[in-house]
Amino acid sequence: MSTNAVPLNARKGWLLSIDSWAVVAALLAALLIRVGVLSRIPW
Amino acid sequence: MANAIALPQTSPAQPALQFLRVIPGVLLLAAVGYAGKLLERNVGTYAKAHHWTFPNIEYVLWAILIGLAISNTVGVPQIFRSGVATYEFWLKAGIVLLGSRFLLGDVLKLGGVSLALVAIEIAGAIAFMTFLGRVFGLRPKLTSLLAVGSAVCGVSAIIATQGAIEADEEDSSFAIAAILALGALSLFTFPLIGHAMHLSDHAYGLWAGLAVDNTAEATAAGALYSDAAGKLAVLAKTTRNAMIGFVVLAYAIYWASQGQAKTVGNKAAFLWQKFPKFVLGFLLISILATYHFFNKDQTTALANLSRWAFLLTFAGVGLRTNFREMRKQGLRPFAVGAIGEVVIAVFTLALVAGAGKLFGF
Repeated sequence: MSTNAVPLNARKGWLLSIDSWAVVAALLAALLIRVGVLSRIPW
Repeated sequence: MANAIALPQTSPAQPALQFLRVIPGVLLLAAVGYAGKLLERNVGTYAKAHHWTFPNIEYVLWAILIGLAISNTVGVPQIFRSGVATYEFWLKAGIVLLGSRFLLGDVLKLGGVSLALVAIEIAGAIAFMTFLGRVFGLRPKLTSLLAVGSAVCGVSAIIATQGAIEADEEDSSFAIAAILALGALSLFTFPLIGHAMHLSDHAYGLWAGLAVDNTAEATAAGALYSDAAGKLAVLAKTTRNAMIGFVVLAYAIYWASQGQAKTVGNKAAFLWQKFPKFVLGFLLISILATYHFFNKDQTTALANLSRWAFLLTFAGVGLRTNFREMRKQGLRPFAVGAIGEVVIAVFTLALVAGAGKLFGF
């Protein structure tokens, strides 16, 4: 097993690009907040 | 934008197994980020209680410093590396969620100003880096990679261009190392210069978004100055990211015309493939926020979620930066990158100052 520098985007097997997964996850989180499943996110 | 990190080269695994593999690293990102948050809260209080003079260091810098300390002393163990590499995912999710803090009118107005400045910055940066590469006698494709990395969006632009112009992996590694090292330096220099020049949040945010190459570092450099500057830096950097497809396409066409890369067939498909999709997510959330799809509490929750995502990103910026590894890549690409970055930083600062006078910020 080598440890060459490999961009995350280049990895295969995630079906979508990391870009698209980030959008899907963010939109899903926004939807959960909108419908009240996630009502309060503290900071 | 995207970044490279040492990842194990293994055969493709099942998605479930890959998911399990990232958990340790994600937990490390969360632990480092949260430690930064705790240090921000407690160090200042402790110093005040003991009458010490201690600068107010924000969680952003603490998280980066802790990550840098781990990466450059004990190193990041193999088990954490896949998860640490997800900081790019958190960055992009954070940017999409940050869209809730921008009304569409602001995006169009600020994005319009940014777009004009970005176009000038890209043209100037590519021309100057190409000139520098020739002066220093770098290989032409390495020069192209450094020019794209400096002009558009750092590492992901380099990766996208590497594939399109069929550059060597070695050239790509040189360019990535130079861009990452310079991005790390910008985290410490940009806020100092901004404060020394008494730049407004608006002017500083635009400058950081225009001049710092990687999106993670641009976001961190903005956030290190102020919350408002961080927002502006993300917007300017996102505008720059949106240009990636056009620049890579131009380079692909150029190198194909030289007979050193494949000809691009369907240009629209090429542009869509290279276009950063998180820009669309950011715009969608901004449109929804503008039309009151979210109430005030929900908008606050979205903004806080975005901050948590950025917290993991900042931890990742520190954890993936290993100066020893970067030093191994050689001095010349770094020297070209460094000279180019300084000139681009001065050039973009002048651009922002000019735009500030024109638009009154």
